[in-house]
Amino acid sequence: MASLSPFSQTLGVKRAAHLLRRAAFGATKSQIDQFAQLTPAQAVNQLFTQPAEREAPRDPATGTDWVSPKPTENNSGRDELIGQTKAWWIDSFLQSDPCVATKSSFFLHTHFTTISNRLRYAPSIYYQIRLFDQFAVGNFKELTKCICLDNAMMRHLDGQLNRKGSPNENYAREFLELYSIGKGPQRGPDDYTTFTELDVVEAAKVFSGYDIDEEFTNINPELNVVQAKVRTNDQGLAAQHDSSTKTFSAAFQNATIAPIEIVGNLATAEAAIDEIQQLVDLVFDQEATALHICRKLYRFFVYYEISDEVEQDIIAPLATIFRDNGYELQPVLQALFTSQHFYDEDNSVNVDDHIGAIIKSPLDLIVGIHRFFDVPMPDYQGELTSFYETMNQGVLKPLTDQGMYFYEPFEVAGYPAYHQNPTFHRNWISSNYLARRYEYAKKLIEGIRDQDGNELVKLDVMAYVTKPANISDPSDAEQLVRELVDYLLPEEISEERFDFFLRAILLDDLSEINWKFEWQNYESTGDDSAVRVQLEKLFNTILQSPEYQLS
Amino acid sequence: MNRRSFLKKAPIAAGAPLMLNGLSLQAMAEQSPLQRLAASSTNDRVLVIIQLHGGNDGLNALIPINQYGRYYDLRPNIAIADKGNRGVIPLDSTLPDEQQIGLHPDMLGMKELYDQGLMSIVQSVAYDNMNGSHFRSRDIWFMGGDYDEYIDSGWIGRYLDQLFPGYPDSYPNEEMPDPLGIEIGNSVSLGFHRDNGIPTSIAISNPQQFYNLINSVGVEPPESVADTYYGHELQWILDIEQKSNQYAGRLRELYERGSNSGVQYPEKYPLSAPANSLRNGLAPQLQMIARLLSGGIQTKVFLARIGGFDTHASQVEEYDASMGIHAALLYHISEAMKAFQADLRGLGLENRVMTVTMSEFGRRAKSNGSYGTDHGTAAPMFVFGRNVKPVVVCTNPDLNDLNRNNLKHHFDYRQVFGSLIQDWMQADDATIERTNFADFITPESKIELVGDPITSVDAIQFKNERYYLKPCSPNPANGLTQVTYRINAREWVMVELIDTMGNQLKVLVNEEQIAGEYSLTLDVSGLKTGTYIVQAKTSGWQDTTKLIVVR
Repeated sequence: MASLSPFSQTLGVKRAAHLLRRAAFGATKSQIDQFAQLTPAQAVNQLFTQPAEREAPRDPATGTDWVSPKPTENNSGRDELIGQTKAWWIDSFLQSDPCVATKSSFFLHTHFTTISNRLRYAPSIYYQIRLFDQFAVGNFKELTKCICLDNAMMRHLDGQLNRKGSPNENYAREFLELYSIGKGPQRGPDDYTTFTELDVVEAAKVFSGYDIDEEFTNINPELNVVQAKVRTNDQGLAAQHDSSTKTFSAAFQNATIAPIEIVGNLATAEAAIDEIQQLVDLVFDQEATALHICRKLYRFFVYYEISDEVEQDIIAPLATIFRDNGYELQPVLQALFTSQHFYDEDNSVNVDDHIGAIIKSPLDLIVGIHRFFDVPMPDYQGELTSFYETMNQGVLKPLTDQGMYFYEPFEVAGYPAYHQNPTFHRNWISSNYLARRYEYAKKLIEGIRDQDGNELVKLDVMAYVTKPANISDPSDAEQLVRELVDYLLPEEISEERFDFFLRAILLDDLSEINWKFEWQNYESTGDDSAVRVQLEKLFNTILQSPEYQLS
Repeated sequence: MNRRSFLKKAPIAAGAPLMLNGLSLQAMAEQSPLQRLAASSTNDRVLVIIQLHGGNDGLNALIPINQYGRYYDLRPNIAIADKGNRGVIPLDSTLPDEQQIGLHPDMLGMKELYDQGLMSIVQSVAYDNMNGSHFRSRDIWFMGGDYDEYIDSGWIGRYLDQLFPGYPDSYPNEEMPDPLGIEIGNSVSLGFHRDNGIPTSIAISNPQQFYNLINSVGVEPPESVADTYYGHELQWILDIEQKSNQYAGRLRELYERGSNSGVQYPEKYPLSAPANSLRNGLAPQLQMIARLLSGGIQTKVFLARIGGFDTHASQVEEYDASMGIHAALLYHISEAMKAFQADLRGLGLENRVMTVTMSEFGRRAKSNGSYGTDHGTAAPMFVFGRNVKPVVVCTNPDLNDLNRNNLKHHFDYRQVFGSLIQDWMQADDATIERTNFADFITPESKIELVGDPITSVDAIQFKNERYYLKPCSPNPANGLTQVTYRINAREWVMVELIDTMGNQLKVLVNEEQIAGEYSLTLDVSGLKTGTYIVQAKTSGWQDTTKLIVVR
């Protein structure tokens, strides 16, 4: 029987690594060892420390940021600024201390997905990312209200074209189907159980009459977020907003939403915005909404298949916690990350091994490798051009090759891994994508270069192995391999598999004594050629293994 | 990826008796899997599916000119003109009034295919209670189910699974050395999924690159895999890896052995449309399919994709509704299919291939205020091939009988796929059962789409009904004689009188004419006794008839 009851033993290495891979973007060996000594409650507490707010991205063309309030003609071109913004955000995943906020911020992007080449404007992406960062472990309902007025989201789903008398239902549909209550089984024409086509039409009226704030100066003072603006006439009334009373279907108890203040037959700007609040409140009042969001969280953080047992014993209680806490994310994630279920301790039978059961996204893979091996990156504070170039060649391009078009999924619903039934995370694996994942490891170990042949970024095996915090005694071959596979691979491996890594790969079928001799030779002469070759083979084999693709 | 494991697991050595799941041919003789295996390869027919991603606006592709006024009233801001240079291309003046179609002006390629008897149109296809969500509706099309079904497999996957039992373990083998299905691109869609195990297709973009990539990366896989969630994901990765290894070399070999016939495939839309929609993304995919076929590939089903059809806004250029994104896409499909058919003919493959389009839904009959259309329901499907019955199935959609501004449908998509699977792919009853199409090809529901494969009588007859030059009357003549001819498009016509040496004696017609039958009087009183030739020609047709003059 699946259980959310807390797991209170010390984590140990395997469970600590699992927690850090899932709840955050991974960690170094030292960090894993430190967490291994803690209980889940202590560890999760530490993971909820809020990271310091980061400076806005800087443009090498001007040397400064461009966010107040928007880029000028001195800045780099549109598409370059977008690339810089993506790089700046991914840098936060690479550099921050292990914390849930980064992973959860990315989760929010996979949930409220927009596509950057439909937006084609860096400030809208920047402010949206700030929104995700701000609410990463905060109030999800408040975030949803902000998203309804987010400039990027408005452009993405044609919200600014939705006007009284000329409705555009694009946002209303996705708001119901994807972002809040989700779709139930279709039980008749136009009826999806949790909402109907009528509700889409009525919701579209609630969302009507807004425009994108191209100047990014319209700030909501309470929440300190930039948002879209109401289209007003000279009297400040919402001239293009449908001010009629909207009546929803039985799925929403036939509730009505109307402006709280009307002048003539137009709503005031405040009343129009208030209607959105009313709609979000109405939708979140339905039980199905909390369940839908909790299922998304579960699929992102735990496993893609939700059996009836999990639905009853995990999803339903999580939804209750979500509702009881006014839709704050932290209590839900806290309950999940400290539960027996998360660590596979709620069943005596080992068939549902959640540890290792998610195929890493390309982002998890690349960021995870960077973090574990502490791969040196150009200093963002120092060499900007070099930083962006390295991010482009060394991170963004490999992400694309592996099937994650970062901030640009092919579909409006976002990256298939997070929504495409029944395959979900298996969508990351096709012949091409798998080969590209392996190729990435190979190239990173060789050193990724720019077009002129200059090295941009490299996983230097010797630099890693010669640090005692990573490998206690490199001359001890078996210990060395243990200290890698125990921390890098999610599950225990068989004796034969371990022997493969140790004997066939590292030792080249020679003896361990021979390795000790080679290592000591390197230490006394400084010539690392022999040991480097073997170590690179070992690192390649581990990182290109199918086991390493799993989290 | 690691070739050592490929060599270990290859089930067939040259010269060994055909094995299936480890049992020799003789032992399997009485069992149904063998019978199915034998049945599967009786034909070398191929089905190409072109997925129009986003929901194609059929109403602006096939304009119902018999209801032009109503058409215009529904969508004045995006309506195609019914006359003029950028107006509709009348499809076929021999069709009855309620089937009178005007093609979008950029679908000239399809007009030519139609006139050669190589295209069929099925009007108003959808399914009951059509779902307005891209993802759900597309899944329904691929799963071969009803609006309220949730099937984990696709109809193509089930079809291929039935045809090729024992996949993936017993493949490749001598009978079937190639991937069962191929998707052009990087990821595998639901369509090719089976109920259990890895999908039946391989996704590739370029066989040479694929081969190079696969062979440069990957390591020896683990020997055994546990029966846990982790183990299942690991097995998934291993199966994909193994298939990639096995097929990479083969695909490259086929690609190198094959060639295209020198036909020029289209590259760009020549008129006005947004920059990122100008390039023809479909042509290279069809070109590759033709090349692989010419190399001898035995893959049975191919899937190509072209996206951009979700035209909620700016479906047309505001100043000229005949151009824009949708126009570019229609142009891309028409020109790419025209080139593809010509290429297949040049390669001698025309009799083996049938192509069908699909899209998750059509679009609303009434346009919106953003020069676009929202999600709709019924839409046409196009079927292409030497062996197609060149018909327009069903009347134009009735624009006075809409369902909430949406077109009503007459056919279920499974009637089209079912007809092709049964008559073109020659699937037996058991196979059809697995596709879930059995109810859609009963005598009452069957749509006839496939013509006589031996002589292609249908196509020849089709053409002869639309283009002809009748014998002169009277013949022999000594004064006036009647010359009668018919053309089926608005095009340049030349009708001339020539002698038996080929010298032109008189030009009777030399101008652009609209479709229809023409009759003119020729005065031969000034000619000597003898045999003469009346020749009529257009860009795609030519015919002659003898005329005898007596004094």
